[in-house]
Amino acid sequence: MLLIECPWCGPRAETEFSYGGEAGIARPADPDALSDAEWADYLFYRSNPKGAHRELWNHDHGCRRWFGVERDTATYRIERSYVLSHTGSDAATGSDAATNAGTGYSSGNGD
Amino acid sequence: MSEASPALSGKEGVPPSGKVGTPSPHGRHGLEPFFATVESAPDARVAISVRTGRGFLNLRLNPHSRKAREAAERILGQPMPLAANTFTVGKHRVYWLGPDEWLIAAGEERASDLGSGLTDALAGFHAAVNDLSGGNVELLVGGAHARTALAKGCSLDLHPREFAPGQCAQTSLGRAAVLLAADGEPSTYTIIVRRSFSDYLCRWLENAARPHGAGFSVL
Ligand SMILES: [Zn+2]
Repeated sequence: MLLIECPWCGPRAETEFSYGGEAGIARPADPDALSDAEWADYLFYRSNPKGAHRELWNHDHGCRRWFGVERDTATYRIERSYVLSHTGSDAATGSDAATNAGTGYSSGNGD
Repeated sequence: MSEASPALSGKEGVPPSGKVGTPSPHGRHGLEPFFATVESAPDARVAISVRTGRGFLNLRLNPHSRKAREAAERILGQPMPLAANTFTVGKHRVYWLGPDEWLIAAGEERASDLGSGLTDALAGFHAAVNDLSGGNVELLVGGAHARTALAKGCSLDLHPREFAPGQCAQTSLGRAAVLLAADGEPSTYTIIVRRSFSDYLCRWLENAARPHGAGFSVL
């Protein structure tokens, strides 16, 4: 069983999580402008690397938040977990989010 | 469906007439048949109780909005926990559920009144208040062997060194999704579980606690 570090809840058993596939896939801004092949590429094709892989996990049985995990698909070793940003880029926040620093909200204009 | 219990046989939505102090709808937790028939061991070292009449609210707001947080805290009369997996105890219990989400276990005040107060106070903010009273059941598990019994179905280290009073965690217990909280007394836990899982979870708890001697009560 994997021990996955939720950015908020800390290390938890894999059974508390569900897998969400490859991370960092941005929805095309203008789908109508895409060819069928480009749309299919967005929908179905994934990088499927052997080695470092950024992927989405949801802490279903915990805080129910989506977050990112960088995992080696060959060794299963998890390098880091990170909070997803609101802007679509999923590489914005480091794993120091485990200290509850990141919430997915921008902190600038809370009110 | 089996026979309706006398308490539920009246017309739906029509309260029993003339009774003052009749329990609110939240007073029924659905576990009456279980607690009515389960047998307590004479030397129970795991005490399992169900608390009646607890109302629950789910609160969501942007934690970086200090104004929204303060508006909610004025109504609650206590701070909201900002550290992950902790809870605060005041008039109510406020549990951290997520970076922008809390569960309020209402104290004496009716959850519906508290919910209206929060809704009014948070008008204009990006926030949500939902009454979940009918959807949750609160169980208490205590006694000298409580931790040992719970550990049979929970992957967290429940030793106070790791799971100290004031900490809570949403996790799996006997495969059911629960909110587990470490209470002030050593080895006493509050478990908040979906109502539809509560009968199953009580039976799981009974099984886990039986070798240690299990006692049952309704609070
Ligand atoms: Zn979590």
